[in-house]
Amino acid sequence: MASGDQAAVVAPAPPAAAAMVSEPFAAVLRAGRADFNARFAHVRRQLPDLDGDAFRSYLVATADPWVQATAAARPDRVAAVAAAAFEVGLALVGRGVAGPAARQRAVDEALRRLLPAAAALAAEDPWRALAAIANGAHQLAATPGARAADWSAALAALAPRAGGLDEWLRIGQVLAWRSGLAHYRESALRVADALPPALALAALGARPAGAASEGDGGGAAAASWAQLRARLARDPWHVPDEPVATGIRVVHRAGAFRGFGGLFLRPPTVEARGDQLLVRSGDEGWLLTADAFGVTFHRANPVELLTPDTVDPSSSAAARKPPPGLALGDTALTWHGRRLELPAAGAVTSVVATATTLALTTALSHAVILVALGEDA
Amino acid sequence: VPFSDLFKRVSAPPTNPHVEAAPPVFDVADLYRGPIAAGDSPATGEVALDEKLRQAYFWIVNTAILSTHYDIEYNDAPPQQFTIGDSKSRLTLPTAQSYSSFVLLPLLTFATRRKCLFIGGPGRGKTASAVLMGVLGGYPVREVRRAMQHGHPQMTIADLLGNPLPADLVAAQRMEDIRIAWRPWLGMRVKIVDEYNRIPTRTQSALLTVMGDNYAEVLGHLYECPESAWFLTANDDVGGGTYQVIEALRDRIDVVVQALAFNSRSFSELLVRIEENVRPEEVVPREVVFSAPELDRLQEEIRAVEMGAPVRRRLEHFASHLELCEVAAEQLEYKTKDTARLAGVEWHTLAARDSGRDRLKDLGCQTRNGLSVRALMTLIHYAKAIAYFRGNRRVELDDLRQVLPFVLHEKLVADVEAPFFAAAGNEVYRSDRIGWLRKLFDHSCADYDRLDLDRDDPVAALMAELDSGLGGVSEQQARARLLRIERLIGERVKGRKLYGHLYDDLLQLKAMHQRYSSYLRWLATQ
Repeated sequence: MASGDQAAVVAPAPPAAAAMVSEPFAAVLRAGRADFNARFAHVRRQLPDLDGDAFRSYLVATADPWVQATAAARPDRVAAVAAAAFEVGLALVGRGVAGPAARQRAVDEALRRLLPAAAALAAEDPWRALAAIANGAHQLAATPGARAADWSAALAALAPRAGGLDEWLRIGQVLAWRSGLAHYRESALRVADALPPALALAALGARPAGAASEGDGGGAAAASWAQLRARLARDPWHVPDEPVATGIRVVHRAGAFRGFGGLFLRPPTVEARGDQLLVRSGDEGWLLTADAFGVTFHRANPVELLTPDTVDPSSSAAARKPPPGLALGDTALTWHGRRLELPAAGAVTSVVATATTLALTTALSHAVILVALGEDA
Repeated sequence: VPFSDLFKRVSAPPTNPHVEAAPPVFDVADLYRGPIAAGDSPATGEVALDEKLRQAYFWIVNTAILSTHYDIEYNDAPPQQFTIGDSKSRLTLPTAQSYSSFVLLPLLTFATRRKCLFIGGPGRGKTASAVLMGVLGGYPVREVRRAMQHGHPQMTIADLLGNPLPADLVAAQRMEDIRIAWRPWLGMRVKIVDEYNRIPTRTQSALLTVMGDNYAEVLGHLYECPESAWFLTANDDVGGGTYQVIEALRDRIDVVVQALAFNSRSFSELLVRIEENVRPEEVVPREVVFSAPELDRLQEEIRAVEMGAPVRRRLEHFASHLELCEVAAEQLEYKTKDTARLAGVEWHTLAARDSGRDRLKDLGCQTRNGLSVRALMTLIHYAKAIAYFRGNRRVELDDLRQVLPFVLHEKLVADVEAPFFAAAGNEVYRSDRIGWLRKLFDHSCADYDRLDLDRDDPVAALMAELDSGLGGVSEQQARARLLRIERLIGERVKGRKLYGHLYDDLLQLKAMHQRYSSYLRWLATQ
């Protein structure tokens, strides 16, 4: 266990904040005490928000479990892991990404869950593993609607099946898409292609082909990766291992009034740019990406907002004009003869359709309603 | 335990972002990029080499060399300017990303594997910059330092290149049997020669062979050096060294950069370095270190940068002003400054005889020499390199304008007795060579615009016609072209003074006339 030297590891922390770390970690800190203290002092000069108590708390609660797990799985890598945990931790805590004063808890939670669970993998390149997990969790936590906790739970569960750190991090990329980062859909599918099929299926929550059993209760049949890949490429609204939904249906109400934590100051309107959806609210604009796993908004740059479509004064009128095959009523729409009740009140202010999705806005809502058109549309 | 630290931080966001109209591409690889740099860890993805080069630049500028001199100015909108003091000094706030020549030019030299000379007083970071370039080339600091050649008055060829093994010298029956212990620096991709103007003349000649022809020779044995970037330093390049630098060696230097003064507002950074015992060259981040294959690829990518005709034509027009010396010879082809130089004629006697032209207007009167082919090729290399560095794949006129003074710094000799330097406001250019060269190029571009050569260039049209080949050209067509050439020559010489660009055009027209005449003679034999 820790010795009295620990109080001096992070200078100039008050002794009251001294806390214990495990012996393997303490041994590394003791051996490099002068260097570690110099590093802390140096980084604090650059990052004045780096607080001694907060950093000590990070070492105890986040770094130490990882070092302990490494001591059990890869004792030869304890020093490297401890050094990476310390060095990267300075930046994590100093920038408010992790530690008690962090703006989001998701990063600490992900680090505490994932690094011990994948200690053998992370030991291959601890610096990279720690930075990747911290950055990934940070991005998920910073994306409204994304599910950082789901991501870290699934990534921890799949750690024993990964063939190495690279493969595990690739699984993490696919899981990030599944956890709500819809804009990564296409590149995540390419990453999944590079995974062993069973891992790709597992990352997407699908059972492998041989796993179908009686009592599926009408659920989706188990699939091969090739089949699932083809289905996902075709239909963004398909959810693996769930009963196959067909036909027109409301899949998302995306966005909200800024006063309620959303993006929009005014009820938005929506336009189509090829396969992309551009949402406008006042002078601002966002690209909207959406699929069965989530919805994300990305602020459009001025060039994107000024494409020929938008400078054409008739374009806003065109956006209100229903696409062929669509009939709009006061409270419902009809798409190629199939009726769907609208979940928002007010006159429709814009409506556009891509090959798979219909997006519409109404005068009395700050949300964009996304409708899956179904495979047979 | 090796530590990365804040000195090792490399700019994570794109260093020269461009707003593009193309739809955004979302890459899940970005998931693992964020507030925490991967540090010493191997990169998770491959960074484009131009981005890596910019990262290296910004790391050096922000962390290692601490340059506050943004003298390579780019503007994408009219910049704000302030006038200061009695001398009407001008401070310009550039509107586009601008750079420090003392860092950028060596970096471009590194990327193009050419030769850079640092000049400036002692202790201004010349050697430190050179060492940094060695570290960027993937060598450990210690190895770079040990491989650095320090010029001194007793330096022999053996000191520079290597020794024959003493045992072989005694025992060998033939010269081929003598083995040579070559100096390790010869095999490095980054070569540094400190205070090269302190090397004795004879050793300079040996250095010239290595620099110019990329091999070393001792007792008839040859050592082929890899293609490398060269960095030389000199405290004073105008005679302050122990030995006069031989002209051929000086001519091999592609670019000259001056170490500018340290800004006193950056003292706090020096304090941190002392207190933390940090030497920037020892903490170069791995992300900005280039491997040998990367350097090869970098060169290929730079070479692939396009230099379009509009930019090339302005360079041609600039070069055309400089070589003509009307009084140097009787025959047109020999009316060059080089003819006069080879004859040993004193410059002022030539200048005195040069009457009839407007010596203020004639840009050629500002120089005592013209441009060598090597200098022009170097200019093209650096123009491409700076365009590449800025993330462009086509050289812009501004790229050429920015690198030109540094490339021609040692290559164009100003005639400070010329009327230009005596004109009001131009006296400063006698000492400001960079400013003068930039001004010279600006004047040449203004002349190019005045002649409207972008739209009306009949010589270029005739050249394009000839370049498309003579196959299938009938006798009648060839005669018609000959006639056009003769008419054009007649128009050009009518009542006009002979200026450099006209001189080049006339020689070109004469050469084309020869081609068509020979073709017609050949047709007659068919």
